Amino acid sequence: MSGPYLDVTGVSKRFGGLQALDDCSFAIEPGQITCLVGPNGAGKTSVFNVITGFIRPDAGQVRFRGQVLTRMGSRRIVGLGICRSFQNLRLFADLSVLDNVTVYLPSRTDENPFRPILRPIRTEIERKRRMAAAMSILEEVGLAHRARDAVRNLSYGEQKLLCVARLMASGAELLLLDEPTSGLSAQALEAMIALVLRLKAAGRTFLVVEHNTRIVQRLADSVVFLHQGHVLAQGEPAAIVADPKLGEIYFGGAL
Amino acid sequence: MNFFLSYLAIAEIYALASMSTNLLVGVTGIFSVSQGAIFGIGAYTVGILTLNDWASFPVAMAAALILCALTNLAVALPALRIAGDYFVVTSFGIQIAATAVFMNLTDITGGASGLAGVPPPNVFGRDLDEPGAFILLSSIVLAAAALFFWLVLRSPFGRLINAIREDELAVTAAGKSVLAAKVGVSALSGMFVGLAGGLYAGFLSFIDPGSFDIDASILLLTMIVVGGARTLAGSLIGPALLTALPQVLSVLPIPSDAAGPLRQILYGLMLIAFMLFRPQGIAGRRL
Ligand SMILES: Nc1ncnc2c1ncn2[C@@H]1O[C@H](COP(=O)(O)OP(=O)(O)O)[C@@H](O)[C@H]1O
Ligand SMILES: [Mg+2]
Repeated sequence: MSGPYLDVTGVSKRFGGLQALDDCSFAIEPGQITCLVGPNGAGKTSVFNVITGFIRPDAGQVRFRGQVLTRMGSRRIVGLGICRSFQNLRLFADLSVLDNVTVYLPSRTDENPFRPILRPIRTEIERKRRMAAAMSILEEVGLAHRARDAVRNLSYGEQKLLCVARLMASGAELLLLDEPTSGLSAQALEAMIALVLRLKAAGRTFLVVEHNTRIVQRLADSVVFLHQGHVLAQGEPAAIVADPKLGEIYFGGAL
Repeated sequence: MNFFLSYLAIAEIYALASMSTNLLVGVTGIFSVSQGAIFGIGAYTVGILTLNDWASFPVAMAAALILCALTNLAVALPALRIAGDYFVVTSFGIQIAATAVFMNLTDITGGASGLAGVPPPNVFGRDLDEPGAFILLSSIVLAAAALFFWLVLRSPFGRLINAIREDELAVTAAGKSVLAAKVGVSALSGMFVGLAGGLYAGFLSFIDPGSFDIDASILLLTMIVVGGARTLAGSLIGPALLTALPQVLSVLPIPSDAAGPLRQILYGLMLIAFMLFRPQGIAGRRL
């Protein structure tokens, strides 16, 4: 492969009087888990929004496998293999657990509005195929037994697993997880960590927003430290976590 | 007997229109208040084409279907980029504009006095001028439309438009084009209500702007609120009940000039009562 896998260079974004991202640069290696850390309001979610085409940066660019993403719509970016989750989940609350996953499966013609009328049998076959594909993803994340349930009946931990299941369905190779472990019970936390590590072993690449330094040390191959929209440091987890200057910023001097 | 068959024919026509409203408003969450206008375009298309002998009934129906799909698309396209509450205002504007066109394009629509003498549907060389004969046609069209409605709802596209109602941003994050899906559902929905409009003109043989104004749009919305959003049963039950109301009022000892306002009041009360006490309607889901 030529050049880095995912490369964020000099990205800046202003919201009114607030500089959310300020000359932000870092890179991600394929097959690794990169953790994006930094205090609240550091711009972590904004980084996700820029990479996935949800917001257009004022300056700088994002390249993925050598292609410039910065002017692409989110549709093409997902097509290239990047899919993101949301900090506030954004599950389809009225849809079943299974349908939350099927909607994230890619489609060429199966979602054509006239297809069910023009080719009803074909559409039915595709529907079954999509349901089976979604079901096998739910099995992988351990939610198969809840496939028919409404999302609102899931526990918070299950809802967060479902968010990862949706990203898996998209077929993306690079998954961006926005605070996948926040608010989880100890048991749900272990399930999430195990799932992410399993997916990594299967070849997927991750960029994960994570606050807990102990979880960072368990997950991360590389850590990007963001502060006031600027990357202060990128490196091995042990080095970043041990850096007293970063600790002071992160914990407000509590370390 | 004729009385009952007429009621049934009207109920079937509104059931077709309700499926259209359900796809757009109930499933996708595009809160349109211009369904009456599109219904009217279907009716005027068939009325004008068959009255002037410019086209046979089946060809006129096909024209209504295509024209309504295209109109719905054209009015939807700019508005679909506008979110939520603003769409209601835009769609209200479209309804008002359409009524003005029906009223003032006097040469072809007959203006406020409407179009009289629209010929009954003629299919396979037979005039369906009896309710008993017409009901055969409207039932076949309704059955086919119901099948399509059911197929669309269970298809991957059906899942997609349900997801769009729930969270457009999450659909965008899945790499799907929300706009393309909305354009698709607008066209589909236009086709359903276009068929309804065409049958309406052929059945009543008289159409005027009053049948396709904002009140008509609200009636179409009330039908899915009462029947229930997002289900086939809801699209059938709502129109069946609401089109029965004028018939019931007409046999009650009420002065005929009070029947119209009374009907509107009852529609309004039903809308409020269902929203408050049974938002999922009789056989549907919450709007
Ligand atoms: N769309 C937006 N409009 C205005 N301000 C925003 C927007 N998105 C983020 N911000 C602001 O940018 C800063 C960084 O936000 P964010 O990226 O969400 O931080 P983090 O995810 O690290 O907590 C915050 O101060 C936030 O209020
Ligand atoms: Mg955030």
